[in-house]
Amino acid sequence: MTGIDRRRLLFAPLAAMLAMAPATSVLARPLDDVVKAGRIVIFVYADNPPWSFMKDGEMTGIDVDIAREIARGLGVELELLVRQADENVDDDLRVNVWKGDIVARKAADIMLHVPYDRTLEVRAESLAILFNPYFGEEHAVLFDTARIPEVSTFGRFVTNPIGVELDSASDFFLSNAFRGQLQESIRRGRTLDAAFESFLAGNEAAYMGSLAQCQYLAFLARGRIETAIAQPPMPGIVRRQWPIGMAVKENSRDLGYAAGDVMTELKNSGRLDEIAEAYGVAFNPPHLE
Amino acid sequence: MKLRSLLLATAGAALLSATALSGVRAEGVTIDDIVKDQSTPADVVSYGIGPRGQRFSPLETLNKNNVKNLTPAWAFSFGGEKQRGQENQPLIKDGVMYVTGSYSRMWAVDAKTGDEIWQYDARLPEGILPCCDVINRGAAILGDKVYFVTLDAKIVALDAKTGKTIWRKKIGDYEAGYSATAAPLIVPSESHGPLIVTGNSGGEFGIVGEVQARNPDTGELVWTRPVIEGHMGTLNGKESTMTGTKNESWPGDMWKNGGGATWLGGTYDPDTKLIYMGTGNPAPWNSHLRPGDNKWTSSRIAIDPESGEIKWGFQTTPHDGWDFDGVNEFVSFDMQKDGQTVKAGATADRNGFFYVLDRTNGKFISATPFVKNITWAKGIDENGRPIYNDDNRPGDPAEAADGKKGKSIFAVPSFLGGKNWMPIAYSQKTSMFYVPSNEWGMDIWNEPVTYKKGAAYLGAGFTIKPIFDDHIGSLKAIDPATGEIKWEYKNKAPLWGGVLTTAGGLVFTGTPEGYLMAFDDETGDVLWKFNTGTGIVGSPVTWEQDGEQWVAVVAGWGGAVPLWGGEVAKAVKDINQGGTVWAFKLPKQMAAN
Repeated sequence: MTGIDRRRLLFAPLAAMLAMAPATSVLARPLDDVVKAGRIVIFVYADNPPWSFMKDGEMTGIDVDIAREIARGLGVELELLVRQADENVDDDLRVNVWKGDIVARKAADIMLHVPYDRTLEVRAESLAILFNPYFGEEHAVLFDTARIPEVSTFGRFVTNPIGVELDSASDFFLSNAFRGQLQESIRRGRTLDAAFESFLAGNEAAYMGSLAQCQYLAFLARGRIETAIAQPPMPGIVRRQWPIGMAVKENSRDLGYAAGDVMTELKNSGRLDEIAEAYGVAFNPPHLE
Repeated sequence: MKLRSLLLATAGAALLSATALSGVRAEGVTIDDIVKDQSTPADVVSYGIGPRGQRFSPLETLNKNNVKNLTPAWAFSFGGEKQRGQENQPLIKDGVMYVTGSYSRMWAVDAKTGDEIWQYDARLPEGILPCCDVINRGAAILGDKVYFVTLDAKIVALDAKTGKTIWRKKIGDYEAGYSATAAPLIVPSESHGPLIVTGNSGGEFGIVGEVQARNPDTGELVWTRPVIEGHMGTLNGKESTMTGTKNESWPGDMWKNGGGATWLGGTYDPDTKLIYMGTGNPAPWNSHLRPGDNKWTSSRIAIDPESGEIKWGFQTTPHDGWDFDGVNEFVSFDMQKDGQTVKAGATADRNGFFYVLDRTNGKFISATPFVKNITWAKGIDENGRPIYNDDNRPGDPAEAADGKKGKSIFAVPSFLGGKNWMPIAYSQKTSMFYVPSNEWGMDIWNEPVTYKKGAAYLGAGFTIKPIFDDHIGSLKAIDPATGEIKWEYKNKAPLWGGVLTTAGGLVFTGTPEGYLMAFDDETGDVLWKFNTGTGIVGSPVTWEQDGEQWVAVVAGWGGAVPLWGGEVAKAVKDINQGGTVWAFKLPKQMAAN
């Protein structure tokens, strides 16, 4: 991996716009301020296993472990900012790195789990900078091999119930797929946990979500349910796979560089593989177009 | 001292009458006071000046001739840094004004001097993300308690004298996206005594609209009524009946998270003894995913306070695909038509049509457009059902899967509605409705890629656009018997505040530009205006105090409009935020002029 080169490349086209952007911020802070305060605020999503979720009263998950490593790498204390996802990532970027929330006016210095996508970056209008993709996400189906022999197409789910997180990308795909023929089979969990629980309780013999979610759910099901993962053709899906990276506010470019260096080290040293493995997830390097 | 003795004296009198009447209320406001609020101009003890929500005062002291002498008496600043989004209506009882503010705050203020008596600040948890600003729409009052809801989806009962918390109950889970902003409604019932009724509000996904009725003394739930087909209601802690029939108008398990938030609260009619609630838009937003009418979203429903049962429902926008979040208030009135008195109710819907229904049974009487150039429907048929213009239904995002931006459609009204939350008024003097409306449309297109919680899907983009160069806001006088628009006042910025009308022949409303304005109820001529220094998005009230007529409004720009960009932002960019109660009076010596 050539993380450093990649990072420079990603930032280059934004440099011109950044020069014009006014450097007035009271929220997300540049590197010097973070180091001086001895504390960094990193945003992770609430209820987003295996990335960031509450377990035994504490936040845990791959993104949470990454946040800890970034804080350690910068030699500062970590404060997690944990919030629910809004209707789309554009809103999340506005609330969590750019403007802060409407009640407490609080934002983070770095946001994790931001899709690395040029269209999104253009829409963010240089108010937030997306950088350093660290993981590849893709859609997949987990199924109970004792109840479903194989999943070569979604035709399997015209009659077999399939679990999914409400209003997730997978829900959207299943709801639309094959002119609505799967509509009656979709079992929507209000949260990811609810969808996982329903699968583990045997209510559905299949679950659709991201590959990391499927691997984590298989990990939870270990010893109880024999599972396999399939990635059948997904006609009409908007993205089969997409990279996940970080975001900072436009005035915090140097903080982005520093955190990017830590992330590159996590990848190169194999630490990222270890982190993911603890949740039953195989590190999936981001595929960049 | 004077104030206290006054309170005690009134309490004493109320004690006698309340004991004699029902034996329930010890002091303060009785349920009878609330039901008859409209005919007692010395106080305002309900949201809407009477539970029907007519916002009509029988006061005649202030009239078309002397309104020019209406004079500021005092102003009261909410203080602090939380200067935005004052969408509320004050209450006045025994010389005390109870007024709520943004960020879930409430004050008791001396209604004669503007001096603060107490302030209550709800401690809001971190992590609440209200969708549409930090507003609150007002309080309710009964006995010795005042009530309001908070942004973290709780209802609080405070001691009216001290502002101390008496009880605090959860309406919904803020962590799951629920919030609350509407003024609670207090209604009588034979089986349970007075009930305090609230709706719920929350984000687009995963919530189910519900109406909750509680015991005002304890906050305990008496009944609940979900508004989406398939969900079970409760009565006295036990399951009661299912709302509608499961899957009748919803595919698969979509009814489980169907939306229909009852975020604007409701009204009550003492004649029919029914609660009227509006219900919000269905979820998900993309209508192509949920074939069917999706009941009872974007509807008006009538609920029996004794049982929590739905007596009738009327859906203004079946299978809503434009986010015509039809929560708008349903205002009861008696209509003279063809020589007969009809027990009617009217509602000016987000979808741009003004509906008149039979309030006893929900039967459709008429619907006429109250904004111009409506594109989503060609009209409303004889059964009250929209005649859709299918070319103007937002497309299915799945059809944009080729990675290109989808076809853009222009829909009028915009999703912020021909009318949004701001309440209409009905004059018993002119038999006309006064409707604060907005003339705007929206471009909607499919985005080739959107992300939610880090995952890629297809979404929609939109921009709101004014229809006319010189105005968006439009206050209209509508004859409910014919649907005819008698007059119109055009305002540059979108109107976002409530309306008040009086037997003195006046119509009051505020503008985002900051003016509280008084109009001639028959001609729409501007008779008086006063610049409050910040945009008005609250609802004015009037009352009588020491033989003089008073008017009050809360000023403080905010609400959903400033949160959206585009062309509309240009009309409001120079408006400053704030948070001040303004009280005006017509001094005795000037009343004759």
